[in-house]
Amino acid sequence: MTHTLHRRGTAENLRGDYALIMLRAMGINDDDYLPKVKEFLRIALRHNPVNIGSELKGCLYEFLPEEIIAGAKGDSHVVFDNSRALTGFLKEVKEADLGLSVVVSGIFESVDECLEQVGLKHHTGNFSLGIWGKTEKLPGDDILEVTTMCGHGLISTNLVKAVTKEIKTGTRTPEAAAKILAPNCTCGVFNPARAARLLAAMAAK
Amino acid sequence: MKIDPETCTGCEACVPYCPVQAIQIKEGVAVIDDDECVECGVCFRSGACSVDSIQEVPLSWPRVIRAVLSNPLIESPDTRIPGRGTEEVKTNDVTGRIKPGFIGLALEMGRPGTGTSFRDVQKVTRALAGMGVEFEPQNPVTFWITDKKTGKIRDDILNEKSLSAIVECSFPLDKLKAVIKQVQAVAQQIDTVFSVTTCVKVAPDGSLPTDKIFKELGITPYPDSKNNVGLGRPLFQFEEVSS
Repeated sequence: MTHTLHRRGTAENLRGDYALIMLRAMGINDDDYLPKVKEFLRIALRHNPVNIGSELKGCLYEFLPEEIIAGAKGDSHVVFDNSRALTGFLKEVKEADLGLSVVVSGIFESVDECLEQVGLKHHTGNFSLGIWGKTEKLPGDDILEVTTMCGHGLISTNLVKAVTKEIKTGTRTPEAAAKILAPNCTCGVFNPARAARLLAAMAAK
Repeated sequence: MKIDPETCTGCEACVPYCPVQAIQIKEGVAVIDDDECVECGVCFRSGACSVDSIQEVPLSWPRVIRAVLSNPLIESPDTRIPGRGTEEVKTNDVTGRIKPGFIGLALEMGRPGTGTSFRDVQKVTRALAGMGVEFEPQNPVTFWITDKKTGKIRDDILNEKSLSAIVECSFPLDKLKAVIKQVQAVAQQIDTVFSVTTCVKVAPDGSLPTDKIFKELGITPYPDSKNNVGLGRPLFQFEEVSS
């Protein structure tokens, strides 16, 4: 639930982050749904996603794309780092008319523009009211911008700190550091392209 | 999770991977704090251990709920959904579970990255039960609420912890202000954080029924959003429900 929502960031850096899910509704359209999910992933590969993944299988940073598609067992995920790719992908998904639910996460206005370009509309929306409670337990916003890209919380604060230190000392590039983090997010909703930019900025401080 | 002290070299490579900082080096070997470990499996899957000292061990009730909620590669036996999630907004185009005039609310305890105890989860379920909300029946946490009227959670899991646990409910929109105030109050009584999600059916003209209410409450939603775009079939016919 909500695992592609609550991605922390500025309106500016979140514009490079769009996560999508295709899923079946239990008891309604879950008969023979896997070929549709696999087609969703195949379409995504034509639009240069920065990550794909399927639940109970893993993501692009653990497996080859064809392994993910072959091993897809359930709901599947795709991440783009720009709205042009998102728009092109949505157009093709709409034309394919696969019949399963599709959810797009991202800045509301940006998603709205993409939907309008392909003739789709918001049906139902999740909105984040932020983090409440004992917020003094949280790390800084710069860390959260990276860790919250795994909605299941599987990317640890200390791992982000460790790879940032490696970038600072020149032993790892930001892109390579992002690839250390990415496999921990097994659903494949982590955005390594955005993470590399955020890590580079953290290391430069 | 366990780390074999006989083979662990104490290299510390696994330590930073743990999302809840449950791995420490003691007397030259890595040790997992059983009370803090939420059985998410990150350390095991990371491949950080070059000598394969990290082991998954079979879990029995009630500890197994840690893995059910924290490890997305494990399917909940109750909901058949991996991780701690539900379908919520994601399939609302075909399920119609959130109807016009209603709102879904999800309080994701322990997210981001702090984890939660079930004693804290119970504080929140009790607070919401007092508002007369309907708990989402297909949510794993709801299966463990023994009394929906009081929000009481079964005693044998109260000492358990998880990386996150979602308390999910719905109620008529006209209750939103009162429920939010109750949630703001219980947020002061817990030893963790929760991420707050609302779920609403978007009006045909694209407007959101919550905009005015949030403005009156002085709450500004974050810029990111999660949007069901209505491609599921068969489409749920909301008009039939309204009439």
